[in-house]
Amino acid sequence: MKYDQARWTDDDDERYEPLLSEKANREVAVEDSPLPDDLTRDSLELPDPAEPELARHYTRLSQMNYGVESGPFPLGSCTMKYNPSFTEDISRRADAAVHPDRPDSTVQGTLALCHRLQDYLGRIGGMDAVTLQPPAGAAGEFTGIQIAKAYHQHNDDERSEVVIPDSAHGTNFATAAMAGYDVVELPSGEDGRVDIEALEAAVSEETAALMLTNPNTLGLFERDIEAIADVVHDAGGLLYYDGANLNALLGRARPGDMGFDVMHYNVHKTFATPHGGGGPGAGPVGVTEDLAGFLPDPHVRSKDGGFEYYTPDHSVGKVHGYYGNWPVLLKTFAYVTRLGDAGLIDASAKAVLNANYLAEQIPYEVPFGPFHHEFVASASPQDAADAAKRMLDHGVHPPTTKWPEIVDEALMTEPTEGESKRSLDQLAAAFEAVHGEDDETLASAPERTAAGRIDQVEAARTPRLSWQALDSET
Amino acid sequence: MSESDVSTTGSPYAPHTPAETAAMLEALGVDDVEALFDVPDAVAFDGDFGIDARGERETRREAARLLRRNDDLTEFLGRGHYDHYVPSVVDDLSKRSEFLTSYTQYQPEIAQGFLQALFEYQSMLVELTGLGVANCSMYDAATALGEAATLSQRVRSVSGDRILVPEHLRDGKHAVLENYADGPDLSVESYPMDDGQADVAALAEMADEDVAMVYAETPSVRGVVAENLASVGDVTDDHDALFCLGSDPVALALLERPADVGADVVVGDAASLGIGTAYGFGLGMFVTREEYLRQVPGRLVGASEDANDRRAYTLTLQTREQHIRKERATSNICTNQAWVALRTAMHAAWLGPQGLVDLAEECVTRAEGLATRLDEVVGLQAPVHDGHHFREFVVRTDQPARAVVEDLAARGYAVHAVDEHLLQVCTTEVTADEEAAFVEAMAEVAR
Amino acid sequence: MSFDVPDDLRYLESHEWVRVDDATARVGITDFAQDELGDVVFVELPDDGEELTAGEEFGVVESIKAVSDVYAPVSGTVTAVNDALFDEPELVNEDPFGEGWMLEVELADAGELDDLLSPEEYGDQIA
Repeated sequence: MKYDQARWTDDDDERYEPLLSEKANREVAVEDSPLPDDLTRDSLELPDPAEPELARHYTRLSQMNYGVESGPFPLGSCTMKYNPSFTEDISRRADAAVHPDRPDSTVQGTLALCHRLQDYLGRIGGMDAVTLQPPAGAAGEFTGIQIAKAYHQHNDDERSEVVIPDSAHGTNFATAAMAGYDVVELPSGEDGRVDIEALEAAVSEETAALMLTNPNTLGLFERDIEAIADVVHDAGGLLYYDGANLNALLGRARPGDMGFDVMHYNVHKTFATPHGGGGPGAGPVGVTEDLAGFLPDPHVRSKDGGFEYYTPDHSVGKVHGYYGNWPVLLKTFAYVTRLGDAGLIDASAKAVLNANYLAEQIPYEVPFGPFHHEFVASASPQDAADAAKRMLDHGVHPPTTKWPEIVDEALMTEPTEGESKRSLDQLAAAFEAVHGEDDETLASAPERTAAGRIDQVEAARTPRLSWQALDSET
Repeated sequence: MSESDVSTTGSPYAPHTPAETAAMLEALGVDDVEALFDVPDAVAFDGDFGIDARGERETRREAARLLRRNDDLTEFLGRGHYDHYVPSVVDDLSKRSEFLTSYTQYQPEIAQGFLQALFEYQSMLVELTGLGVANCSMYDAATALGEAATLSQRVRSVSGDRILVPEHLRDGKHAVLENYADGPDLSVESYPMDDGQADVAALAEMADEDVAMVYAETPSVRGVVAENLASVGDVTDDHDALFCLGSDPVALALLERPADVGADVVVGDAASLGIGTAYGFGLGMFVTREEYLRQVPGRLVGASEDANDRRAYTLTLQTREQHIRKERATSNICTNQAWVALRTAMHAAWLGPQGLVDLAEECVTRAEGLATRLDEVVGLQAPVHDGHHFREFVVRTDQPARAVVEDLAARGYAVHAVDEHLLQVCTTEVTADEEAAFVEAMAEVAR
Repeated sequence: MSFDVPDDLRYLESHEWVRVDDATARVGITDFAQDELGDVVFVELPDDGEELTAGEEFGVVESIKAVSDVYAPVSGTVTAVNDALFDEPELVNEDPFGEGWMLEVELADAGELDDLLSPEEYGDQIA
């Protein structure tokens, strides 16, 4: 297997270098403006490439970047599935590009589409009402926990704690803290799942909610989910579902049916909206009927054959300045509409099949199972991070490494439904090759990428976060 | 892939042939893929969603059918969400799949392209604000303001729990701030405005040692260019509070640098470059002083060297973030708006420094020109506030504002009703050719 | 892997050490602690004159993979801070008991030293 990524050429190399934009900066004076001088700046220095130069600059930068269309991307917990092209076109429709301050009556199409998407997501999650406002998964978590808080306060029931398994996503902990809760960390049982006894010990009349991912970060279904729900509900707490792993369960189980009261959907995972190098995503939140009155302001409902915004009676207020990440929601609508029941159910089937097949083909041990859409292999005695760097040289994106910590030198692997058998066999060959390599080779990887191994320590000891910081050094 | 067989064959984006599926199942020793699901019967879902699959063309048609119900209006709307012309090259380049379909840059060796683009974005914001550290995005202006409020709680030199915000503030922004303020128990209070400017005397009167942050905007939500920011900064300084300034990259190309008026944090919507009208879809700008570096929320791209001693970029100072620091992280943000930041950087580079300054100047002259023409219309006075305006201004109308909005909609235009007799009008280069007809329509409905 | 545990120091369970010289105590983090953290990139310390309380946090040590609070083994007034760490945080890794020291305090209560771990006790803890 041979792989070489585009890179900038060396300074002493005579090959063509398109443009390092910082070398093309130009400073202009700000003078004779329509504002008085004391209200204006003196000058502005920015890159000033001509359009052909700009095009080459960013094209070359794109060649120094790896996306889902570049090759396999089995990054655990991230669901890097193929992003259908046509959804981009729908998100860019001119009649969808409306201003958020328009009266409801003039954006009935937008409201109709939002109403339809709310309904679809509710069906998929088994939830009674859905808000589209949260602009990301973590924003969905924050919305959901604020809803739980408002619900308890509405019942004159002040609670101070949120219970979270030790294997949960970092966002869960940070969200609970942001909402003003103390975090109670729940140790995982020996089988990698929630330990009911530990849960009973952790839950009390202070418990506002338990945040749970199912299947969990090891890909394991929490088989005791009904008992878990009972423990939390008996204590007066709510059950929050982190939708990060929903791609495992489409059409097999729904959070609402498992006893969850609040959930968020990661549309950039489950519903194939592109990750965009870190974002934008969207994190719609679904709730049961009892919590519908607490949804963010405003919410869409149908009225007299049309649609309108209204403020739910006990609304938690707003979590985004407007209506959320609208173009991303359009892509979500497009994906769900395209796939329908048959496609969504098949997506989960193939995602689970792919994860199980890949695990079977690779030489690394997978200590916990049965898993669904992802598995966590152990690279031990190799260093998982080093093994991952070496996988880059084999032309594939590596798994998530060293997390969750319950597995020694974790390789958290999620191939998604988008890989064919042939592609999985090639991916397995990359695992196989890396498995056979010595520590020295791994530690010096990667070699065939745009940059060699990057010095993280230097980056953090001497933070240089702008051209200006680089300039002031020289 | 044909259009006709979509409803029966499953996901069009799972490439398995039946033979491959069979071979994979055989390798796993199971007959049916359902055997791989470990879901107890009690919670298994055996219904259906009732969502019919459609072909790609049919899906596009369905989206078109729904969206057709949006009225085709020429929008003179702003108040934080602006329409500037985005060149085609930004669309084309940003849509390259290596950018669009990539993940957060946790493997920097294969993400140098996006990292460098984000480094460029951060650098542009440093230049525009004069402050030392820009993160590579928050969700939008409102959430960035919320994050600034929580930052004030982590900065050692600041104590107190009062956040002072201007009376003229977008409701949505205020509401989001309230949610961010809820966890740390901060109280959000409004200080008065005097003819569109912060009433500094009143602000000074309100301020005490319990103030953690003072927020001001330029231009304000009503489009007024602030003239007394340094005084706001002084009041803030007197009480060891953070001075947070709201703006956007187009305005910052022309207006005095936030660092020069004493701002500690700059927030706002940077998608005024790169996106255009998108129903409030934005890009939270967050820039602050270097001394607060370790309290910054969100991701930061830094320069470093690779194993061959060549310049390389990487996400850095990640111990601030949720995936490492969990409940003690500076924010819960994970997924951000990186791709929007990429577009904003591209758009700014396309304009270049002169182009950006010219655009900002046009925002002033165009707003003031349209206000002058509307002021000549019987039944209208514009602008209501003295002072300079940027893109937009408030208009007093003798007719009820809501009736004017409705009458204008019937004529194909959208404006915003601020209250019973105040309208707000925004114009940019995108609406330039429509201004004359808009003034005529206003003349018809305003008398 | 074995770690240095100098005989002439007292220790906290949270991996801080203290070296007493008359009424002054010098404080840092142990060899074990720096190894657990990995490459230290940033150190935050209190100013001269600040009061420390035994058992409470007084500063922060940051590596690229973790951030740790540092706890005061003893109570007292800060009389000196190791400024060198601000430019060269790697001294904490290279010489944790020497040039990587963090601060000196004037002891408020020498009796608190009896509550700390002996080298043997600390050595057992990290074994």
